[in-house]
Amino acid sequence: MKENIFKMSLLIISAVISLTSCKKDKAGEGNDEEVITTMNLKFTPVNGGTTIIFSFDDPDGPGGNAPAQNTISLTHGVAYNVEVELLNKTANPVDNITSEVAAESGAHRFYYEATVTGLVTFTNLNNDINGMPLGLNSVWTAGAAGTGTTKVTLRHYPGTPPNKETADLVSSTKSATDIEVIFNTTIQ
Amino acid sequence: MGISQQCSIKLKGHIEDADTRQKLSGATVFIPELNKEIITDQFGDFIFTNLCPGKYTIRVTHVGCETSEQLVMLTKDKHIDIDLPHAKNTLSEVTVSSQKSNSNTGFKKELTSREMDQTKGQSLAEALSRINGVNMLQTGSTISKPIIHGLHSNRILTINNGVRQEGQQWGNEHAPEIDPFIAGKLLVIKGVDELKYGSDAIGGVILVEPKSLIGTPGYNAEFNTAYFSNNRQYVLSGMFEQQVKNLPEFSYRVQGTFKKGANASTPDYRLNNTGSEEKNFSLTAGWKKHKFSTELFYSFFDTQVGIFEGSHIGNLADLQKAINSDQPASGFIGENTYKINRPYQDVNHQLVKSRSVLQAGHHKLTLLLAAQINERKEFDIIRNSTSIAPQLDLGIVTTSSELNWEYNKNPAFIQLAGISAMQQENQYEGRYFIPAYRSNNFGGFYIGKWQKQLWNFEAGIRYDHKNINSNRLLSGAVVFNKYDFSFSTIGSSFNAGYKVNKQWKINTNITLANRAPQVNELLSNGIHHGTATYEEGNILLRPEHSINIILNNTWSNKKGSVNFDINIYRNDIKHFIYQQPKPDEPVLTIAGAFPKMLYQQNDVLLQGIDFSSRILVSKQLNWDFKYSMLRAKNTDKNDWLIRMPSDRIQNELTYTFTDKNKFSKTYLSAELIYVSKQTRVPDEKDGKQDYKEAPDAYALLNADAGTSVLFNKTLVSFSIGIRNLLNNSYRDYLNTMRYFSDETGRNIQLRIKIPINNLY
Repeated sequence: MKENIFKMSLLIISAVISLTSCKKDKAGEGNDEEVITTMNLKFTPVNGGTTIIFSFDDPDGPGGNAPAQNTISLTHGVAYNVEVELLNKTANPVDNITSEVAAESGAHRFYYEATVTGLVTFTNLNNDINGMPLGLNSVWTAGAAGTGTTKVTLRHYPGTPPNKETADLVSSTKSATDIEVIFNTTIQ
Repeated sequence: MGISQQCSIKLKGHIEDADTRQKLSGATVFIPELNKEIITDQFGDFIFTNLCPGKYTIRVTHVGCETSEQLVMLTKDKHIDIDLPHAKNTLSEVTVSSQKSNSNTGFKKELTSREMDQTKGQSLAEALSRINGVNMLQTGSTISKPIIHGLHSNRILTINNGVRQEGQQWGNEHAPEIDPFIAGKLLVIKGVDELKYGSDAIGGVILVEPKSLIGTPGYNAEFNTAYFSNNRQYVLSGMFEQQVKNLPEFSYRVQGTFKKGANASTPDYRLNNTGSEEKNFSLTAGWKKHKFSTELFYSFFDTQVGIFEGSHIGNLADLQKAINSDQPASGFIGENTYKINRPYQDVNHQLVKSRSVLQAGHHKLTLLLAAQINERKEFDIIRNSTSIAPQLDLGIVTTSSELNWEYNKNPAFIQLAGISAMQQENQYEGRYFIPAYRSNNFGGFYIGKWQKQLWNFEAGIRYDHKNINSNRLLSGAVVFNKYDFSFSTIGSSFNAGYKVNKQWKINTNITLANRAPQVNELLSNGIHHGTATYEEGNILLRPEHSINIILNNTWSNKKGSVNFDINIYRNDIKHFIYQQPKPDEPVLTIAGAFPKMLYQQNDVLLQGIDFSSRILVSKQLNWDFKYSMLRAKNTDKNDWLIRMPSDRIQNELTYTFTDKNKFSKTYLSAELIYVSKQTRVPDEKDGKQDYKEAPDAYALLNADAGTSVLFNKTLVSFSIGIRNLLNNSYRDYLNTMRYFSDETGRNIQLRIKIPINNLY
């Protein structure tokens, strides 16, 4: 009997050891790949000129310090090529999310809206691999001088297949919001 | 052999105290399969008459003795002698040792064996919700957790086979990681006995107790299968146990369960990605000789649970849109498949434990060593469709040890004491939810139980100390503060029971419990995709103090055909920790503004009544009535608490047929459940507290029928249950999915149980 107890306690000890030793070495490093901290909108006049960048920047991710946000300031009558750059600054090195969105272009779509009609008009949204609007690149034309807001929305289609269609509205139930930023906008 | 002869077996028995050889009068002999109970006479004798052939569990309880349980195979009249507490069949005696007679120890509710059978294949919370006063907090049809008198999660301790379950009970969508098929018994207790497990059981303790290992040479096997029509869920479960003939000290058991369900359906539409899969098994080995017994137990639990896609929310505007529509968008409904897509959870829990008992004279020493690993992975909807990694990966490793002492020289005065220590380490990867931390706990308790004629008194005290050392790194780029916490808590309880007469028993219990804040309450920080809120912990939280008073009255008439049970309770909790919406402080993120939910503390008062009655209308017809009500107030704000169960009435009529030919235990039952609308919700004059008004009241009709058939020597049980027979569309206030979809529709359940016995 003693021998059996001994064997059994050995078994317990080895089981406890094997259980504890198979635990993963996770030091408590948080790295949320899904976080987008920063959106840079790069404005280059269609007819040439310097590139200006307006951003929404929240380098510590949701919560913590409040994000910093620029006012978009454009010259009336000028058309700009706008390129979107998305970053995750919580990762080290900084993660470029733009390429991820481009790689899954069939499941993403940008929407641009101005609150004051004619403040800015949005045209020439680039297409995804299936020829549907994507909007990583677009042309913004500044209207008459004035102030208002512009809203940039990135929608993500979680479905497989995504079933993205040109007619889908920003409020489509097929897609969910990845980005929704409202910029104060001044046209001079 | 005639029919009448078949069901006319007598089972006689005699019970003695193993030490003193005293005849034990007043011991309770209970056969759960028949729900029959007999008290031994002055000579320690009992007799059951008119039994059908078959296998029965004989459970004997007596003041100051261990509960004994054994299986008896009846083919003809039989006499059994049972010695307490040294009965050779109590290889692993149950956790709550030295319990008083059943109904006289404060709040202690157990599922009957029929209820256990009827809930085979369902989740732990679903099974427990058959107990009056216990409700279910749900996230869709696949995730459910028990609520006892309005309290849940870390306010309830779950004791799995004697070990305090250390899983991940942080949120409403974190279900207990336990296979209900392990349980031979499911109980909810409150009062003095909770101090054995912790000083923090403000809501009560759930005991999941396996059957004792087989006590006589031979083997038992049991095979259970179930099918649920609504989500095409099938369940297979098997158990085999043996006591080897030429090694009578040794017994073992192997048990396993497999469960798989497809998408669930409401009466009007099927909900995409609501499938689930569960794989569990356990091994038990026991050794018993003379005054020493030891048991080794290992269990493995693994589940994958799909989360309804329509509830995974990008931002507040999306949430409002989903909430405002009557039914989920067309892209989220209609698929009938077993496939689980993102978002889903993958949870694994492993437990290894050893428990050794040494009986030395009137002293009993128990040593418990346990290790648990819990791994929770959450897979969100992500941008990169080829990624297979989880977005949240939490791993908790817990080791615990416990040494308990029991002294029972005087059966009328039993003393128990114990010390325990626990180490815990949590690590995470991916999205920040709770920090990595190390925690150390140690504690000790003393309980005394005193019995004098018609009175019984129990009192206990417990002290616990807990350290939490967090490693709080929010992200790879930004390092945040580390916080360390230290809490000391004391729990105590006093219980007095009085037997007014044979029919009427009164019991009063007052319990003081203290619960230290959990890591998630202190340090959580981030977006909750299920509710589109930004959750923020609060490092200033203090322990909750609860004073819980329970008054219990049970009464039955002389024949035992009319039984009443009324339970009145009042739980006064100081510094109750809850999430307060902060509508004025939205958190601006790149996905828009999220409403903030901040953990904070207020004084609350929970008061309620559970009433149940069982009336044998005739020999065959039984009427069960249950009513439960709870009033939960934030007394600081003079306002109602959110997410509390509303009033509930259950009526069940059961017709039991006379055993006939090979058929026994044949019954037919109909149940009507009425759940009122929760009108006692937080006031919204200072801003939004809830996204949607509480749903309307609803009534559900359920039906159940079953029979046992004797094939050769095997008593095979068949049963069918229909839940939501009328296929009503309804929503439940305690289900988070009420924001998005209806509850599931009609569900027909088929169950077969095949027990095989071969006793030498």
